[in-house]
Amino acid sequence: MGLKTDKVVPGREDRVQACMAHGGCASGIGGQDKICLKNNERGFSQAGLCQLLPTLGMLLTLPETAVIVHGAIGCGSTGFAMNTSIKLHHLLRGNPNAKDSLWFTTNLDESDVVHGGEKRLEETILAVHEKYRPASIIVLQSCTPSIIGDDLVGVIEKLRPQIDTPLLYSHCEGFKTKVWATGYDVAFHAMFNGFIERDKEGPPPRKAPRKPGERPQVNIINLASMGKPDELELERILNAIGIDVVIGPNFADREKIRSMTQADLNVSVCPTHDDYLIEYLHEEYGIPYVLKDMPIGLENTRNWVLDIARHFGLEDKALAFIETEEAKARQAVQRFLPQLKGVRVFLSAGEFRALVTGGLFQELGMEIVGLRSYHHDDFGTDFYRKLVQAQDGKDFPIDIANFQPFELVNLLKKVEPDLFCGHVFDNAWAARLGYPCITIFRIFDHYLGYRGFYEVAKKAARNLKNHNFNKKLSQNVRDAYKKEWYAKSPFAYIKSDSVEPPVEPATRAA
Amino acid sequence: MSSHIERPRYQCALGGALVTINSIDRAVAIVHAAPGCAASADGAATVGGGYWGTTETDGRATPSTNIVEREVIFGGEERLAEQIAATLEVVDADLYAVITGCMTDIIGDDVRSVVSEFQRQGKPVIVAETGGFKGDSTVGADFIWEAIFSQFVAKGLPKDARRVNLFGFVPAQDVFWRGNLLELKRLLGLLGIEANTFLTPQDRLKELKEASRASLNIVFSDVHGVKPAKLFEELHGTPFVTEPLPIGPTATEAFLRRIASLLKVDEETAEFAIAQEKAYYYSFINPMTDLVNDQDFQRFGIVIGNANYSYAVTRFISEDLGWLPYLAAVTDLLHDDQQQAVIERLETLPADYRPKVIFETDTDRITARLQEILEQEEDPYGNPIHPAFVIGSNLDRPLAAGIKAGFWGVSYPITNRIVTDQFYVGFRGGLRLATELISVLVANR
Repeated sequence: MGLKTDKVVPGREDRVQACMAHGGCASGIGGQDKICLKNNERGFSQAGLCQLLPTLGMLLTLPETAVIVHGAIGCGSTGFAMNTSIKLHHLLRGNPNAKDSLWFTTNLDESDVVHGGEKRLEETILAVHEKYRPASIIVLQSCTPSIIGDDLVGVIEKLRPQIDTPLLYSHCEGFKTKVWATGYDVAFHAMFNGFIERDKEGPPPRKAPRKPGERPQVNIINLASMGKPDELELERILNAIGIDVVIGPNFADREKIRSMTQADLNVSVCPTHDDYLIEYLHEEYGIPYVLKDMPIGLENTRNWVLDIARHFGLEDKALAFIETEEAKARQAVQRFLPQLKGVRVFLSAGEFRALVTGGLFQELGMEIVGLRSYHHDDFGTDFYRKLVQAQDGKDFPIDIANFQPFELVNLLKKVEPDLFCGHVFDNAWAARLGYPCITIFRIFDHYLGYRGFYEVAKKAARNLKNHNFNKKLSQNVRDAYKKEWYAKSPFAYIKSDSVEPPVEPATRAA
Repeated sequence: MSSHIERPRYQCALGGALVTINSIDRAVAIVHAAPGCAASADGAATVGGGYWGTTETDGRATPSTNIVEREVIFGGEERLAEQIAATLEVVDADLYAVITGCMTDIIGDDVRSVVSEFQRQGKPVIVAETGGFKGDSTVGADFIWEAIFSQFVAKGLPKDARRVNLFGFVPAQDVFWRGNLLELKRLLGLLGIEANTFLTPQDRLKELKEASRASLNIVFSDVHGVKPAKLFEELHGTPFVTEPLPIGPTATEAFLRRIASLLKVDEETAEFAIAQEKAYYYSFINPMTDLVNDQDFQRFGIVIGNANYSYAVTRFISEDLGWLPYLAAVTDLLHDDQQQAVIERLETLPADYRPKVIFETDTDRITARLQEILEQEEDPYGNPIHPAFVIGSNLDRPLAAGIKAGFWGVSYPITNRIVTDQFYVGFRGGLRLATELISVLVANR
């Protein structure tokens, strides 16, 4: 099992026993039976994402590429919303005239559901090729063609000899996995399968060992939740200690993606995001990797940089650089510290990002009082413990939830944080309760490295100073849930195979 | 026969049903579908509808069964029953609408029987099968309206001679549906008519429950909402008329006169209201006269939009703004008889102002068709429609740039401005549209 051999990328519940539904305390995570945890479900659930959405979002970033969503009309309908965001990415990359992304739906209707959609897919691929001659054509298989038995790979392999454009495919049917983060794996699979394994030139050869004195080159695997300012910060840090950087594969073309096989080291910015890809490059190209920290906050950035430096014997240089940068950053946040001291923060995002951002807030003298992770897997386990330790053992409730705002709102009313820091589309729930909010990422801002440390502190102080928009809003919106709901545990609808008793977070007043 | 579509301008049937429910007071959807269906279905609308956004019970708070492989193999009825019961416990609403996605429709879950069990217990739960492959959002909106009329609206209420229901709007597909409905309600109010609008934040669910009290249904579309209006008539005995969306003084005056006559509003009231509103329009238009004439702000108009907007905007720019409609591109996926209805409506325009009409949904194919049409023009300077102006959606900006035309977006999707209560209908909506179009022409000064 792996990127090289997979036709269909396995769901993360199978590959890494990811869990989507769990409520408890930060100190307890890691102690549960992983199989029980991954089987947890909800008797009441709210809309999630499916793996097609992150897959589509990532693959649309490839320049001059045409993405065909094979399915009914709705599965491609969010394309233009993603296009809007991708255009902003391009703008930040100094490319204001970037063309709109190109995406299509095969628009399967009732008759196609009966008769099959392979012919439509074939026609669409040929028409798109003929008209646009894109740099690559990528097909995303959604639920409907999958269940009616369309043979996606068969169609692709049939057309491959007929057209000179690289053909990429991804099986990303929503019903196949509970864990939409599987979509990251699916997108990586499409890129590396299409541009390397099945490329007309075949896979590039392994790189010869680095010559003495040659500057090391590392790949930084980028995320949709990483804007240009963050990329520049990481590049600046690594350049300063003598390392060259290639950033991809999002926004990269075929040549750049192929060049990623020639690096001396793969560097993940988020282990949850990248393990599938990094494993492939390790096995096939022997490229070692760094996959355990996210450079958010001073300590995490320090660990991340030192891990990379160690591969090239650059620790001394790195340490000197880190000392200077940390001193500057600590000095810069001095003026915000009195305002931030003791502020109780609630975090909500993808597990890893939420956890390491918690570390950043603790470095600013704040306390973590609750955390919601979109899913849980082993990459985060140690970081929960670290957060509890860093605040002298003060535990806090956690909610493993693919969104599920009903649980979040219930938990927030019990925890009553001073500040909420959430992923886009998470903040509104806290905002309507009147809490000051800051987003955990925006592609326009700095979050990573030393500059990120300063900017997050500044942003927190700014929002704490005036959150009248949310305060007034909270007095003027209705509650979505019945009052009986708030009398229950936020985790009341989680059905568990585990024998562990459900945890009731104490209300703040209690 | 259908074909592939470039950059689709709609959601699926599920999406149209979902955004309709999301617009109704104290109504909540229960989406019985794979994870991601609800997010796709309303994710596009809530951005493309001028950043419509989400409220407490929609977006990521939409109750959804999130069925996966196990249910696809063994059936999802049990999971649906569990989800409905739990939603009734947790979510504070007065109408719960079960709508379905492709997977559940294909595997054949008997959702009606699951829901009927709750209906038998007196719970306000309705159901519509809205699998995405059944059509686009306008089709899905029709499905959910039919479900509402047959499963929710009270039967046997006495009719109120001065009460009407307004239909034909699909939220986000008409980016301005809220403002438009509120302005239509205000205008009809001037005639002493109480109009139920249902889809604005100002509406209350009780009005929908008692919608059968209306003595007339006005469907502001020749194609969308017509099927449910027929069902409404069968079930509740209220007849319907179809009206084009009235934009600007000429269309609105005609609209108000027709409705006044149908509902027997006294002539004096109607004439007074029309005169007042028209005076309002011209009191702001009048001072623009120098600018419009001196700067030769007449344009060849290319209107790209759905069946409702393509006609309404074309009529306004020709009859009130004095432009020359050149092309109307209708972007809905329509059956032949629906296309015929749209053509007939456009043919009511005076011959000189009648644009060429095409039915194409892709910007790209519209561009190609426009080029073909232009190539047939005999113009030695190769510039037959200069100066031109494109009124379409954000997707049509490259088309406008390609022919060096002015551009303004009024159709879905709109992602470069925020739309809240703005509207284009009526006298004042026409004033807004005139203001915006001419603002584009002075924007670089």
